[in-house]
Amino acid sequence: MSGLREVRELHAAGQLAAAYPRVRTLLDRLDADRLAGAGVILSRLAPGEVLRHHPGTQVVRVTVSAGRAVPGAVVAPLAAEFARHGMLPDVRAGEFNGWVGELTDPSSPLAAHRPDLALCVLDPFTVFEGLPQTWSAADAERVLGERLDLIARLAASHRQQRPGSTLVLNTVPLLRHHAQQLLDLASRAELGIAWREFTSGLLRLSRPGEGVVVLDLDPVTAAGARADDPRMGVHAGSPLATSLLAGYAREVAHLARALRGDTKKCLVLDLDGTLWDGTLDADGPDGVQVGAAHRQLQAAVRQLGSQGVLVALCTKNDEERVRRALRAHPGMLLREGDFTTIAAGWGPKHEALVRIAEELGLSTGSLVFVDDTAAERDLVRSALPGTAVPALDAEPALHTDRLLADGWFDTLKLTDDDRARPERYRRRARRARLREELLDHRAFLRSLDVVVRIAPATAPDLPRIAQLTARTNRLNATGARWTTAEVTDRARTGAVLGIRAADRFGDEGLAGALFIRPEPVRWTLENLALSCRVLGREIEDACLAALVAAARDAGARQLRAHWRDTGANAAVRELYLRHGFAPERPDGRNGRNGPDGLWVFARPTAAPQQPPEHVEIDITMQATMQATVEEGSCAASGN
Amino acid sequence: MRGVGELISLVNEELGMALRPADADSPLGALPGWDSLLLLRLIAVLEAATGRPLPVADVISASSLAEIHALVAAE
Repeated sequence: MSGLREVRELHAAGQLAAAYPRVRTLLDRLDADRLAGAGVILSRLAPGEVLRHHPGTQVVRVTVSAGRAVPGAVVAPLAAEFARHGMLPDVRAGEFNGWVGELTDPSSPLAAHRPDLALCVLDPFTVFEGLPQTWSAADAERVLGERLDLIARLAASHRQQRPGSTLVLNTVPLLRHHAQQLLDLASRAELGIAWREFTSGLLRLSRPGEGVVVLDLDPVTAAGARADDPRMGVHAGSPLATSLLAGYAREVAHLARALRGDTKKCLVLDLDGTLWDGTLDADGPDGVQVGAAHRQLQAAVRQLGSQGVLVALCTKNDEERVRRALRAHPGMLLREGDFTTIAAGWGPKHEALVRIAEELGLSTGSLVFVDDTAAERDLVRSALPGTAVPALDAEPALHTDRLLADGWFDTLKLTDDDRARPERYRRRARRARLREELLDHRAFLRSLDVVVRIAPATAPDLPRIAQLTARTNRLNATGARWTTAEVTDRARTGAVLGIRAADRFGDEGLAGALFIRPEPVRWTLENLALSCRVLGREIEDACLAALVAAARDAGARQLRAHWRDTGANAAVRELYLRHGFAPERPDGRNGRNGPDGLWVFARPTAAPQQPPEHVEIDITMQATMQATVEEGSCAASGN
Repeated sequence: MRGVGELISLVNEELGMALRPADADSPLGALPGWDSLLLLRLIAVLEAATGRPLPVADVISASSLAEIHALVAAE
């Protein structure tokens, strides 16, 4: 049964909300038209109904404002594209031509929806409003300039008035039937220039992580999406083509995923048929061919790797043979050292993926699996639902397009830390080998020379700390995802401490953060976010012990700590309990004592736990005073 | 497309509606769950199903599914 048919039958039977987690899989391989059909059905679902069945569903609150485009026309494509990623959009569409009022009036119904994403759909017709009845390129240039000023003011006001919400703008395609109305080629070129300057001006408004993002639709139209629909525009007042709206909604869904920090971390590649033509086992190392299509894919993979994507190989072959071929084959762009790990063997691939994830300390939900064999893809799709599996087909020239189609590795902002990730994982592998050599775990820990420094975050730290809140799961105390602006705000009103860690294999850099509200009698740890990369070295224990001591030394009698069950962060609760925190229970029942499932743990600051002896740690609450570091260091050792 | 009943089945399936044959002559605005955007999707669906372009202006101003069916049948 096709996925669309099943979506329709579930809807007709009234079971679509109950089956929502499965919808993602049903939409997996639908073509554009079927996906549009599914969107129409899905847009009829009330978000509350889905939440009643599945309270953990990731809801994204969205408002849609537009000029001449019809806001409601975006709702169905959004429903389909968000569902493809397991998210649920809660959409309020604005009025026709309501964009300016809706985005500036704090009392508009759209503002009351408190959107995570405030979409402002810009279209070529709205941009051109204000042209005289007959017009020249100079008129167009003036009107475009005025439009850009207006949009820049909307963006500035949004950033100021609506922290926590992201305004989403888009570049606007230049329509052929607009350009062709200028007959002389010099004027047409002037219009083209003015239009591109307008486009560049829009893109300059983009501040990912600070509340404004501009989606570039040029690549969407270049990939074949028609921008306008003259028939629907003239007769029905809906001038944008469904293909453009679908492409737009797809980019919005990728953005929503990136804002949630749901960025895939590792690309797992098949070898035979995917990176070269032929099979190593049957054809031998001289028989496999790296053609132009394979080189194109390999070049794209290398490009991803240069930006911090981990690249792994998963192949049914003999490992030594694979390594030899990677070293010696003259046509390969990717070499042995480009792969963070190589899983070669004859077992089922989903099991190999689980081992790769374990080795890298990732969940299988952080993997993207690329394989030219349909049976392998189906196996992985059914065994590991969280792993992304792009739908390749038999044409290798299309593999790169398919790999990049869903923005799996998109991120708001790439940090130096991201770029250094592959090297960090190579260190991690060296550490793992040492652990295997030293059978005594304590001796292994002592041999690492772990050093941890905790200090107030400085301005350059803030984007990385926002990224940590977005990307950490296991050691994220409340699951809160904060933008750079929100982190900055917290640093102003409370204390945000950055955690830096290093050992003899290298410096992990800024690997975590503590969000503290220090009050005279009581400190509150409102969130803790620690990268999984530091796991296994008891660094989290050292940090918490040092924090208790620092609170005591500052005169506070009690340290409270927040925790919210995200389904992935039980480790934080265990950490609190291990350090003598207990849930506060004003209701005398289950300790679930705050709004929104917030748990509050507390302990007296007296008698902190000793930090683990293999960790050298210092903590300071003042960024600039060296003396305080030593004081903090003293406190951290529990004296 | 033979009868208006077939159009109603198509609407139910494609647009997720639950209409009955008796709804054929009801004003579109009175159909439970109807909104004007669905009409745009319906035009695309009908053009795909029949393989022919429809007179969009006429379909947009049609007042009932029976009238839309007449336009589809007339093409």
